[in-house]
Amino acid sequence: MCPVLPVTVAASAGGYTLFGVLVMLVIGAVLGLVLFAASRFFKTDVDERVEKILDVLPNVNCGACGFGGCAAYAEAVVYKGSACSLCAPGGADVECRIAEIMGASVGDREPLVAVVHCGGGTRSAHSAAGYYGIASCRAASVPGLNSPKACVFGCLGMGDCVAACKFDAMVMGDDGLPLVIESNCVACGACVRACPRNIIQLHPLKSFVHVYCINTDKGRDVRKACDIGCIACMKCEKICPVDAIHVINNVAVIDYDKCISCGKCVKECPQGIIVNMRKTRKEIDRLRQPVPGGTS
Amino acid sequence: MQYVKLVIAAVFVSNFVLAQFLGLCPFIGVSKKTSSAVGMGIAVIFVMTLASFVTYLVYWKLLYMPLGIGVDARDYLNIVVFIVVIASLVQFVEMVLQKSMPALYRALGIYLPLITTNCAVLGVAQLNISRFGSGGFAAGLLGATLNGFASGLGFTLALLLMSAIRERLDEADVPLPFRGVPIAFVVASALALAFLGFSGMA
Amino acid sequence: MRSFRGGVHPPDMKHLSADAPIEVLAAPEQLVVPLSQHIGAPARPIVQAGDDVRVGQLIGEASGFVSAAVHSPVSGKVKAVTRTRHPLGNTVDALLIENDGQDRMAERVGEDNPNWRDVSPRDIVDTAMKAGIVGMGGATFPTHVKLSPPESKHIDTVILNAAECEPYLTCDYRLLLERTEDVIEGLKLLVRALTPPDAPPNRVSGIIAVEANKKDVFLKLQDMLQDKTNLLARLMPVKYPQGAEKQLIKTVLNREVPPQSQRGLPMDVGVVVQNVGTALALYEAVRFNKPLYERVLTVSGDAIDTPGNLLVRVGTSTEHVLKARGITDSASVVISGGPMMGIALSRLSTPVNKGTSGLLALSSSENWETMPCISCGACVRHCPMQLIPSKFSTLGDVGRYDETEHWNVIDCIECGVCTYVCPSRRPIVQHVKIGKAVVVPLMRARAEELRRQQEKEHG
Repeated sequence: MCPVLPVTVAASAGGYTLFGVLVMLVIGAVLGLVLFAASRFFKTDVDERVEKILDVLPNVNCGACGFGGCAAYAEAVVYKGSACSLCAPGGADVECRIAEIMGASVGDREPLVAVVHCGGGTRSAHSAAGYYGIASCRAASVPGLNSPKACVFGCLGMGDCVAACKFDAMVMGDDGLPLVIESNCVACGACVRACPRNIIQLHPLKSFVHVYCINTDKGRDVRKACDIGCIACMKCEKICPVDAIHVINNVAVIDYDKCISCGKCVKECPQGIIVNMRKTRKEIDRLRQPVPGGTS
Repeated sequence: MQYVKLVIAAVFVSNFVLAQFLGLCPFIGVSKKTSSAVGMGIAVIFVMTLASFVTYLVYWKLLYMPLGIGVDARDYLNIVVFIVVIASLVQFVEMVLQKSMPALYRALGIYLPLITTNCAVLGVAQLNISRFGSGGFAAGLLGATLNGFASGLGFTLALLLMSAIRERLDEADVPLPFRGVPIAFVVASALALAFLGFSGMA
Repeated sequence: MRSFRGGVHPPDMKHLSADAPIEVLAAPEQLVVPLSQHIGAPARPIVQAGDDVRVGQLIGEASGFVSAAVHSPVSGKVKAVTRTRHPLGNTVDALLIENDGQDRMAERVGEDNPNWRDVSPRDIVDTAMKAGIVGMGGATFPTHVKLSPPESKHIDTVILNAAECEPYLTCDYRLLLERTEDVIEGLKLLVRALTPPDAPPNRVSGIIAVEANKKDVFLKLQDMLQDKTNLLARLMPVKYPQGAEKQLIKTVLNREVPPQSQRGLPMDVGVVVQNVGTALALYEAVRFNKPLYERVLTVSGDAIDTPGNLLVRVGTSTEHVLKARGITDSASVVISGGPMMGIALSRLSTPVNKGTSGLLALSSSENWETMPCISCGACVRHCPMQLIPSKFSTLGDVGRYDETEHWNVIDCIECGVCTYVCPSRRPIVQHVKIGKAVVVPLMRARAEELRRQQEKEHG
């Protein structure tokens, strides 16, 4: 169908081009006007704040806010009045900007970090039985299955949290416990949700003294299950200068609002289960170093 | 009868994706989940039908301007005009939908802009003017519109097949280098081979 | 013989303990009696540390309708209210009781009630509740709940489940063989409890369903039930899971119980299924006022020196039971229940409870490697619930457990047939368990949302 241009046309090629441009101009102008009219006539009240917030959000769709992605969260902020502070990867910066868009102001938000509250790695926690089955913590802790670890509170060490982390902030340590790389952690809480034993919690980044045990059994039972579990001896509670650590339900718990990270309880703990993160951070750094002659 | 043949030809024999290899981008991009494939398919049917109708009109009624030198403007301006017209049309329809049928807009909304100037849509418009050129304007318009609709149907069929296969593929233990798009291409080529079986029919 | 669709024929291994008469196992010095030995709310302890208790004395009262009372299995002193591991792996409250070895009976426990045949249906249900009787086949559903069907359901048949389709287990067989008359009396009580007051006495019929590999018991039962109009014994083909409620009803009555996703229960087709042990416990409770504090279980497996059937007090530790029959060094896995549906224990201190039908010590636990699904369809062919089990495992492998709802994961009865037949050794039942744990809360949330919406519309 495409015609082969006759030789005579070549002479008037200039007129041809001019004509084409003219036709396109007219069509473009008409369509443009129609669209312009339509955009006025069919104007819908879409809140432009949704688009603005979506621009501000990191768009990684991690779901840490509890909504099905960044777009859903942006809509929730505008239409449902959800809090501006839910975007974990965006942090304080994004929160400020969302609040700005929404016309509200925010106070400073405490940066958080994930903390694994179990110190019972393969070296110290006792094993109760072998485990054959699906290699995931969720599978190993489903009702109707027995715990392979003697401690029913402790880390199962199959790395569901590591798999859940979208920010490369968790690695599996060599004693079967996950380690948090704090510089990468955005406190999105994915690992907190992934852990079937609720071992991982979010705590202020500025605190670096943590209790690495959540076993609420009595001391005698804890000793049976683990070399280093909290035996509720109350020594930490007595030594604490600011009344920030208490034995609640057979396990020491730190009140992070009061804790000044002085480290006195770390030295006092006979089980060595209160840990100063400064040391651990060094170990994580060591793990992150590429191993000579192997993969990192 | 000829219209039945036309539909069968457009859906199976010269399926846009699997026989003519047009519109491969959304075919790979939106075939991960059946639910989104259905949305995309409906949007494509919608746009193709409308575009076929409008471009046929534009071609015969608007661009028919003899230049007095043995050539019509429609012969050399059609592609660029079609693109502009289809894009504007989709934009326009989107706005109308947003106002009048918000539910349909939300269902199609994210897919409509994706296919404004998709090559399959442009392709069907081009094919229409070459196939339904002779035999009267009204019959040609009907044929073109039906062809647009049926081509959209064929696209949807291919998309649905692909998405169903890819949903199963997600559960399969695919070798690491093949995971994701590579295995999807392998599947697409196998599907295209299968559709070759229709060639020569109708 | 007619039967349900699907199923498998694992080697039944019953010869190990089938000929061993029931022996009484002496209670250990210390017992840990869990307060949650049943489905439903845990019992509330009503004794304190230091209290003196007698055999059969109520120590935990039912804390709701779907709950069961717990009685002291020995006489002695309550040492502490403590915690222990349920065979399911969770931690439950329990009472630590020190046995004084004198077996002082609580008041009235063990007395023969001369008028026991005249007890009214209402009183039978009451007795079942007070005696803490639960389904002793393993599901431990409180019996009094099963015996109180809503008015709208008309029960016409009670099936006494003596299929005992799990390999190794022989405790029901031994009970039927040694205490045939008592079990039949128990069945009569069950029938009576379910007969409405205005109905003729033989409106509800009782069927004792026995698998064909226990023919001697069947012949004996048939002989004894000859002259009964509404009681009979049925022989069923040997096939696992013949003893699963829905499959049992299909085989015996050719009635189809709606699946779990439609909230189907045997009572929807007019049937109540009870275990042999439950019937016996009911008989003993009604006639001798004896609460459920001990049960017969099978100790078997190739790592047990002398397999047998033991009458064990509830709260006895697994270790005590196994040592009584001699556990060899080759034992590598201990299972509470049968090998198909039972649970591998990680602690031998786990106490025996009302639902423990067997304790198996097996020597070979192959550390098998899971291979990819080859879509052979073996699990689909053998699934007694007509599900597509392979789908659960393939979806599970990629973490898409929420989609298992679409494939009716909650209809699965976790019989283990799929895992048994899978040539790729895929842990399908474990995937199903995770799937259920994911799907059930989702469904609950949705139902809740729906209810709230409806309330909004109407209010």
